[in-house]
Amino acid sequence: MENSVELHTPKGTERLHGQNRIRLLSIVFCGFFLAIAVQLGQLTLIHKTPAANPELAAHETPIPRPDIIDRNGVVMATDIAVASLFADPRKITDMDEAVESLTATMPDLDSKALREKLTAPGRAFVWLKRQVSPEERDAVYNLGIPGVGYVNERKRVYPLGRLAAHTIGYVDVDTHGIAGIEKFLDDQGALYTASLSEPETSTSAPAQLAMDMRIQHAVTDEVSKAVIKYKAKSGGGIILDTETGEILALASLPDYNPNADDKRLTSDQQNKLTSGVYELGSVIKAVTFAMAFDYGTASLTSTYDTRSNLVIGNARISDFHAQRRVLTVPEVFTNSSNIGTAKMALQVGVENHVEFLRRVGLLDRLVTEVPESAKPLLPKHWSKLASATAAFGHGFAVQPLQGLSVISDLINGGMSIPPTFLKRTKEEADVLAHRVVKPETSEKMRYLFRLNVEEGTASKADVLGYRVGGKTGTAEKVIHGRYSKDKSLATFIGAFPMDHPKYAIFVMLDEPQATPETYGFATAGWNAVPTASKIIERIAPLLGVTPVFTAEDLAKLAKLAKTTKKNG
Amino acid sequence: MVKIFNAVLVVCLLVSAFFLYSLEHSTRGLERQIAKMKNGISTEREAIKLLNAEWSSLTRPERLQKLAEEQLKLQSITASQIVTLADLPSKIPDQPLVKLNDQGTDPIGAILEKMQ
Repeated sequence: MENSVELHTPKGTERLHGQNRIRLLSIVFCGFFLAIAVQLGQLTLIHKTPAANPELAAHETPIPRPDIIDRNGVVMATDIAVASLFADPRKITDMDEAVESLTATMPDLDSKALREKLTAPGRAFVWLKRQVSPEERDAVYNLGIPGVGYVNERKRVYPLGRLAAHTIGYVDVDTHGIAGIEKFLDDQGALYTASLSEPETSTSAPAQLAMDMRIQHAVTDEVSKAVIKYKAKSGGGIILDTETGEILALASLPDYNPNADDKRLTSDQQNKLTSGVYELGSVIKAVTFAMAFDYGTASLTSTYDTRSNLVIGNARISDFHAQRRVLTVPEVFTNSSNIGTAKMALQVGVENHVEFLRRVGLLDRLVTEVPESAKPLLPKHWSKLASATAAFGHGFAVQPLQGLSVISDLINGGMSIPPTFLKRTKEEADVLAHRVVKPETSEKMRYLFRLNVEEGTASKADVLGYRVGGKTGTAEKVIHGRYSKDKSLATFIGAFPMDHPKYAIFVMLDEPQATPETYGFATAGWNAVPTASKIIERIAPLLGVTPVFTAEDLAKLAKLAKTTKKNG
Repeated sequence: MVKIFNAVLVVCLLVSAFFLYSLEHSTRGLERQIAKMKNGISTEREAIKLLNAEWSSLTRPERLQKLAEEQLKLQSITASQIVTLADLPSKIPDQPLVKLNDQGTDPIGAILEKMQ
C-alpha cells in the first residue's frame, strides 16, 4: 500500500503529512473492522444460545394449568384444546350461501338466529359457536367462507364427572379456579405446582392429590344409597389416613357436575364436610374421655353414678339410653351416658377443659388446601354448664372433617397431624406432627373404641376380620334456637384395624328417617353405623388391610354360613 | 503481486459468500424442521391429554360398577375370602378331599364336557 501512496505524493513535507493521514485512516479502519470481526465472532461462535427467541416467547401461552391427578395417577382434571368459531359479517360476500353451508355443517345452529346475528348492522365480530371439536372446526374451515375463522382456546374438563367434585372444585370461563383445589392452585399461583417441575417446557407437572378414586367412589356410592334408604336430607363420608393425615376420600351429598356450564349451586350442594359446622353429638365424648385420661382424673376402672339426672343451675342433663346405676368408665362409653361424661368433664375443670379443646384443635378453624372452611361455633362463655354440655358434644359445632381429624389424632398414638388433600409421605407427616395426648391415653381410647363396636352402640359396624372400632353420635338439630326432638344428625366416627389404627372413617346422615328395617329407630346405630360397615367392607381390601379372625369371629362366620345355607 | 493477491481475495470472498449462503439455507431448513417437530410434539401432547381424559372417563368406577353389575355375575369380596400364603396347605393331600365316586356326580367334569 505504501508504494502506491508514494507514487502520488511528490513533495517532501506534503508527503509526510499525507502518509500520516493515511496511516491514521488505515488504523481507524482496521480498528473498525476488527471490532466488527470480534463482535461477529462473539455472536456466532461463542454466544451460541441467544437468550430465548423473544418473538417465540410472546406467542406461547403463559403457564398451562396443571392437571389434577389422584394418588394413583388417574386424571381428575385436565385442559383440552378446543376451537371457537367466529365471523366478520362485513367480509361475507354471499350471506345466503354462508348461512346455508354453516347450518348444514353444524346442524345444531338455528339458521334464523344465525342470519339475524350476521345481518345485524355495524357488527364486525360475531361468535358462531364456542368450544367446538377439532373435527367440526376443520369442517367449517374447509367450507372456505370468507370472514369465518377460529381461535384456539383451552377448556377445563373433569373426566370423572361428579366424583370428588367438592374436593377438586371448578374454574370459571377464563379458567381461573374459584373453588376447591382449583382455587388453591390459583391462590398459590398455578406457578406453584408448575414451577416445581419443568418451568422451561410448555408442560407443567400435575398436582397430585391424596385421594384414591376407587375409595372415593365406594364411599360416595354407599353414602348415596344410605341417603336414599333412610330418606336423609344429605349425607357425607370421609376416609382419613391416621398416620399421614391424607384424606383418601371425602364425599358430600348432594353433589354437582363440575362439567356443567351453568352450575347454579344451591346451599345443599356445598361441601358440608368442610364448609359447614355441625354439633357432632356423642362422638365428641371420645375427646372428653381422652382428656380425663390425660389429666389423670379418670382411669378405666373409675365409676360414675348415673342414677339421677345431673342438675347444673336450672338445667338438667339426662341420658338417652338411661341405665340408672353406677357405671364404670367403659360402660359410660358404650352406653353413651351424657351424665357420666359431663361428670368426667366437671372433674377436670372448666379451664383445663378449654385448654384441652384448644390443644387438640377443636377451638380454631381447621385450614386445609380446600379454601371452603368454616369457623367452629363455640359457647360465648365457658361456664360450668357449657363445659358439661360440650363434654357430650352439645353447644359447640365444628367442621365434620375437623372432628374426624381430632379423633384420629387421639387414637393414632396421640400425635396431631394436620389433614391434607395433597399426597404426603409418612416422613413429611412426621415432621409436621406434634404430641397432643400421651401414648397410654391413646392406647385406652383404642380399647374403648373397639369395645363400643364389640358390645356398645356401634355393634353394627363390626366387619368381621377388620377389627373396627368407633363411636356413634345422634345429635338433635337446633331448629329456631331449640333442640328438635325428631330432627337429628346421625354420625359415626371409627377406625380400623383397631390394634394399630391406620384408617379413620366418618359417616354422617342429616335427618335420617326411621324405616321398618330399623324397627322405628332413627339413631346413628341404625343408619350411619351400617353404612360405615358397608364402606369398610368394600374399601378394606383396596387399602390392603389383612383380615385377622379370632376364634369368636370364626364361630360367628360359621353360624352365618349355616343360616344362609338354610335360607338358600 | 498485488493483482494476484486481490484475485485470491475475490475468490475467497466468493467462496465464503457461497459457503455462508449454503449454511444459512441449511439452517433455515433445520429451523423449519424444528418448528415442524415442535408443532408435532404439541399436537401429540394434546392428543395424549385428550386420550388420558377419555381413558379416565371410560374407567371411572361408577361406570365400571354399572357395567360389572349388568354383565358379570361377580360379588363383592368378603374378609373371609382372603387368606395368606401361610394358610395354604404346603402339599397336595394324598387322598382327594372330595371323593367323586362317593359323591356320584362330578360338577366340574360336567361343565368341561358341556364346553366340549
